[in-house]
Amino acid sequence: MGVIGKDIPHDSARGHVTGQSLFIDDMPFARNELLVDFVGSPVAHGVIESLDLQAAREVDGVVALLTAKDVPGHNTFGAVVKDEQLLVGDTAVFLGQPVVLIAATSQPALRAAKKAIRLTMRPLPPIFSIDDAIAANSFLGGERVIARGNVTTALASSRHVLEGSLVVGGQEHFYLESQAAVAFPGEHGAITIHSSTQHPTEVQSLVAEVLGVPFNHVTCIAKRMGGAFGGKETQAAQPAMMAALVAARTGRPARIVYNKDDDMRTTGKRHPFKSWYTVGFDDDGLITALDLKLFSNGGCSTDLSLAVLERAMLHSDNAYYLPNVRITGRVCRTNLPSNTAFRGFGGPQGVVNIENIVEEVALSLAMDALEVRRRNCYGTGTRNSTPYGQRVQNNTLPRIFEKLSVDADYFQRRREIDTFNATSKTHLRGLSMTPVKFGISFTKKTLNQANALVNIYTDGTVMVSTGATEMGQGVHTRVRQIVADELGIAYDAVIVGATSTDKNHNTSPTAASSGTDLNGAAARDACCKLRARLAEFAARELADAAAGLDFSREHVQFQDGMVFDTRDPSRRMRFAELICRAYIQRVNLGERGFYATPGVDFNRETGKGHPFLYFTNGAACSEILIDRFTGEMTVTRVDLLMDAGQCINPGIDRGQVVGGFVQGMGWVTTEELKYDDAGVLLSHSPTTYKIPAISDVPRVFNVEFLDNPDNAVSLYRSKALGEPPLLLGISVWTAAKDALSYAGSRQIPRLQLPATVEQILTALTRQTGPAAPSTQPAIRAEIG
Amino acid sequence: MRDHLLIHVNGHLHRVEGAMAFQSLSNFLRYQLTLIGTKVVCAEGDCGSCTVLIGRVEHEHIEYRPVTSCIEFLYQLDGAHVVTIEGLAYGDQLNPVQEAMVRCHGAQCGFCTPGFVVSMCAAIARGETEREQLRAALVGNLCRCTGYEPIIRAGLEVNPRAMRCIDDIYPPAPLIDSMSAAAHEPVLIHADGRTFFKPTTLAGAVAFKATDPACVIIAGGTDVGVQMNKSLRDPRVVMTLAGLSDLRQITSSEGMLTVGACATLTELERSTQLCCPELNAMLRRHGSPLIRNAGTLAGNIANGSPIGDAMPALFVLGAEIELASQGGATRRVDINQFYTGYKTNVMRPDELIARVHIPLPSANELFKLYKVSKRHDLDISSFMAAFHARLRGNVIESIRIAYGGVGPVILRLPKTEAFLTGQPLDEATMAAAGELARTEITPISDVRGSADFRLQLAENFIRRFHAEVTGSQSLVASRDGNGNGRVR
Repeated sequence: MGVIGKDIPHDSARGHVTGQSLFIDDMPFARNELLVDFVGSPVAHGVIESLDLQAAREVDGVVALLTAKDVPGHNTFGAVVKDEQLLVGDTAVFLGQPVVLIAATSQPALRAAKKAIRLTMRPLPPIFSIDDAIAANSFLGGERVIARGNVTTALASSRHVLEGSLVVGGQEHFYLESQAAVAFPGEHGAITIHSSTQHPTEVQSLVAEVLGVPFNHVTCIAKRMGGAFGGKETQAAQPAMMAALVAARTGRPARIVYNKDDDMRTTGKRHPFKSWYTVGFDDDGLITALDLKLFSNGGCSTDLSLAVLERAMLHSDNAYYLPNVRITGRVCRTNLPSNTAFRGFGGPQGVVNIENIVEEVALSLAMDALEVRRRNCYGTGTRNSTPYGQRVQNNTLPRIFEKLSVDADYFQRRREIDTFNATSKTHLRGLSMTPVKFGISFTKKTLNQANALVNIYTDGTVMVSTGATEMGQGVHTRVRQIVADELGIAYDAVIVGATSTDKNHNTSPTAASSGTDLNGAAARDACCKLRARLAEFAARELADAAAGLDFSREHVQFQDGMVFDTRDPSRRMRFAELICRAYIQRVNLGERGFYATPGVDFNRETGKGHPFLYFTNGAACSEILIDRFTGEMTVTRVDLLMDAGQCINPGIDRGQVVGGFVQGMGWVTTEELKYDDAGVLLSHSPTTYKIPAISDVPRVFNVEFLDNPDNAVSLYRSKALGEPPLLLGISVWTAAKDALSYAGSRQIPRLQLPATVEQILTALTRQTGPAAPSTQPAIRAEIG
Repeated sequence: MRDHLLIHVNGHLHRVEGAMAFQSLSNFLRYQLTLIGTKVVCAEGDCGSCTVLIGRVEHEHIEYRPVTSCIEFLYQLDGAHVVTIEGLAYGDQLNPVQEAMVRCHGAQCGFCTPGFVVSMCAAIARGETEREQLRAALVGNLCRCTGYEPIIRAGLEVNPRAMRCIDDIYPPAPLIDSMSAAAHEPVLIHADGRTFFKPTTLAGAVAFKATDPACVIIAGGTDVGVQMNKSLRDPRVVMTLAGLSDLRQITSSEGMLTVGACATLTELERSTQLCCPELNAMLRRHGSPLIRNAGTLAGNIANGSPIGDAMPALFVLGAEIELASQGGATRRVDINQFYTGYKTNVMRPDELIARVHIPLPSANELFKLYKVSKRHDLDISSFMAAFHARLRGNVIESIRIAYGGVGPVILRLPKTEAFLTGQPLDEATMAAAGELARTEITPISDVRGSADFRLQLAENFIRRFHAEVTGSQSLVASRDGNGNGRVR
């Protein structure tokens, strides 16, 4: 009996519940180990005028104070474009950008040194908002376009045209384990670094570059992360480089663990977006043309912003066929910490735009938004080509709409809500169903590869290691299941080693929901090779000419820890015994596996291609309750339906769905990044930045998987689930918009994202107030 | 006078001397004792990853309560027994909470998990096994991975009868005498320019404060602890009142609730369950259970934040603050006259808060408390409102209104109150009063909301109060209408 498809607990669960799991700062301190912290720029944009380290140097316990000139290799780095500085050389481009590294023997010494450092800077005018960046022509990279048909003509001939804009806020990752790394100096310039990173290979190469040593001198080990969500894809590298720099300069182990406030103030977040749109549609709500202009706030450097923008553009259709469409996108350069990957990677910002538009189309026609959604949904034979040209195959979206609207009793509840809202003086209810169609694969083709190493030891136990990093999502558990089944041995006979660049080279980040798809496939490849080799050996061992069983590798089967001949299953031996014999006979018991996703490619210049191996689909139906006097909102009921293909581990998959949804719900409701005029992040800790708490979880919360055995292109017909469920949180925001439409005179409510209590009250006051403007002002002209 | 602390951790006694006494419990656990299961995320009591159980001797038994160890300092724990995640397993076996968390996928990344396990063990040991009880008990623990639903499911799957109580794991007999003796002994520690004093008499406390007015009094430490961790404050002289068992009392007689300065908000919550459900409901939204197990009402008053959750209620009820000073002298100050500005008050340097006297509303009075925050629970208020009124028929005979979060101190609304007195409780009157209320406050824009938002709430809450006291029917309808929804 195999374990794929079984609900097996997370492979670290036992350590987690007992507090025994080790995270970076749980590692024992080494002899001579130093603690590392930094002093950052006091201004968001400015030039260093003077830096006096004398007093800090005299603090007892301070061992090193390092600045940009102490970097032996490159001080400049970047995941895509090398436009970031590890330590400010001359000009700081965001508040808190590290200027001086401090290494000391104790926390009090670090604190005292920080106070003793005298840094003065000449401020330069900063830019923080998308509007100001547009006005100042401050961008990262050029404009991107994805287009089809003739939007201008189609808009001109559309029966209805609606214009508007949408402001979408960022989001703090709020991984519980803040950024952290420990570096150990080795021989001849070598460094071993333990990092809380999603991308050990990038940490390896960046550390090597900052130290000016070859890549093979650096080993990066990532045992696990206390949450990441994209925040440790590129930005775990800075603390790792800092620790490595101190270790290299002092010859002593060095540890850096950001405190939560510094982490939130100085690392990037989900990109805020602002968009302007013109949509044409007919009397039935069928969209005829869409012109959508997206602007993201990239912060101070490129990081992954261009790829995030690209995914936002590739998801601006979501589940809907857009015959004539023009989506343009630009990344604004501002003086905020560089915004970065965050679960969904631009997808949520793209999807919320089209869902907002669909909601407004429905309101303007006095139709139910679900009807508009179903009418515009991608078809199964026709109307199934995306704006970038990829066909939506194995399209389960119509089935999902159909099933969830029945399961969630959508239309009955809609009637109840109509009545309720007409009579209640104190509350408003809102209801909305939104789908998700999330493209699976890195849009950067190169990254769609993985390697794995499988070692079988002579007692028959197996260690597998891949480039996948464990951040709670359960990739190690799934890889264990895969290896156990492929070798026909018990799950407990397999362990997954810490991810490490000396075992797996040139790995891609564990990101884009692809951790299992890529690394699981590589592990399977290694297992297949091993099995073939062992089958050959076993066939020789099991063959018996006297019994008329000739040598036949095709008849060797591996199952339940046994190896047998299917022609006579009584001819069997334990897997461990086979391995022992194979070792004695000098059979190679280790293997590397490799996988490269076939058939994916995307041309950025033309905006056309087949960027995704497949789509993960799903839908959410959310109901909310709003207090008319205060704007307070409660999510009262949520029904989720996900097409996860065939689950490799239904328990872990369910955890991704529920957890992703709640994280998305936080993004659209309570999680608000507030800055003051100088660019100081005011919401820099959980006291002021509000992720959902346990009492925000809807009391009625139904989660179901769609039965879909047809996803033949992927590993065991499964579907990636890391990011897609987050986008279902958008249904809470559209439900709020739905509720607000009942206030006052059923105008289209203007609502920003997140829909905080304040935003909702402001919208309510506008809807019911005497001087409420009837439609959103058309701002298109300003943009040109 | 003892010059060191005596603290038990997972059944073992630790003697803590000198400067070590001034560190946070979480640092002590992680870096001195290598009990790394206790995680630190926010260092401000707002995420629960560092949750541990603190046991103290109460009425001849050890009462264990979960608190956030990051803002608990060792000097607060003299005579206490700390139980960490490492101390909760049954030997090599997982306990039933741990088993259920494994089975139900209650852990993903694992960083918050020890805190959840500790909180859940405490809740189930208290018999809080229902869904709503678990939601309330775990509100101080943040998780970013699971969406909580698997954690609630785990809690519901635990068989409470299979749970061993803490006393089974750590038999109280060998602990209770030494804990009790230590708790009742005075302690004075001088180290590295810092002083800590734990008096055992009120006279001793007052005398010490008189000698050094800069002395900071720490009860639960839930405000001062955060300020110390965030380097906003570094008090050189600290005194806890933990040794004054008299000040832990809460008594009620003839409509007056008297709350000792060291009574925790949890104890106050329990005491108001029957005698003042409205205040009780507000207290249940005050911080989190982890904070309420440490924090005190007197601490809230002394801190004097204009967004303190308990404050507006005390203003409309006319609570009196009992201040103790040298020679056994006491005086009582109406809380409406207590504050002189942002976090400043009329206390003299040699005075300390001994008790708070709260006149409870009678059955024929209207008493309503409201709190608006960005998140419903585990959040400080953006805006608070308290109404205390007496009606004759439909006419407002008297009314007191206090708003929080709208100025440097909690504000009463004298003009609005005067306007409403003698007026009928109808929609037009209340709408006019709402507009008047706007003119009486001076809100600022900050991270928790804009001035406009608060002005609008100031107006709307008068109307909300009216809607609620006259037309509660529609509220009930909304609760029924969505089946399981809740009305806030």
